[in-house]
Amino acid sequence: QVSVLYFARSAELAGLRCETLSVPRQITSLQLWEEIVKIHPRLAVIRDQVVFAVQQEYVLLGDQLLVLQPGDEVAIIPPISGG
Amino acid sequence: MDESEDVPKDFIKLKSEKLSIDEVSELVISPCCGAVSLFIGTTRNNFEGKKVIHLEYEAYMSMAETEIKKICRDVRQKWPSVKHIAVHHRLGNCLFKNVCIGSVCWSPHLACRILDAGVMTLTIFPILCLYLQEIYEGEYSWKENKECFWTNSEK
Repeated sequence: QVSVLYFARSAELAGLRCETLSVPRQITSLQLWEEIVKIHPRLAVIRDQVVFAVQQEYVLLGDQLLVLQPGDEVAIIPPISGG
Repeated sequence: MDESEDVPKDFIKLKSEKLSIDEVSELVISPCCGAVSLFIGTTRNNFEGKKVIHLEYEAYMSMAETEIKKICRDVRQKWPSVKHIAVHHRLGNCLFKNVCIGSVCWSPHLACRILDAGVMTLTIFPILCLYLQEIYEGEYSWKENKECFWTNSEK
């Protein structure tokens, strides 16, 4: 079980900022995205504009294998605009 | 003399209250240093011909702080004589003319330091986990930095 955080546009599309999801312990980042989009289909429109941050490290959507621990934090990060 | 003042420190704050340039400057004062570089970012009242009413900032707080600390570390590697660094960024609602971001590096040498604060802030833009909405009259838009490394730049 991981905590998923949503920000900015991803929070708008998902309709929430934070939730707990059950996902396989080993999963590619793309598969993780697809799991999340099943629950929040509106997120599909930003597929090309997001990255994950897993335990505060950036992860691109792709074949990278993630090894997740219970309680890990996964954030859906749209393009950044601070500063 | 207080020896702990000589240990370089990073002061990072993301907060919803009005930022104080005095406070940011005072954080980095150190008796052994003779110069301060200060960068101030403020809200503009227009973007591409549209009138901007205000900005709304939100942040992935823990990660933003982690990333700023990494930048501070990189700054110190590049310019070892930098002493204290303070980065304050406003969250929530910013009316125009309000300060949104200030960063200060206080170092022994004046030359080139004025450039450093600007360089550091530009480095922050693509990395910082902050989001901003420009609120126009009747509509809004989430802004995207050009330097954001994961967006498809050929849109």
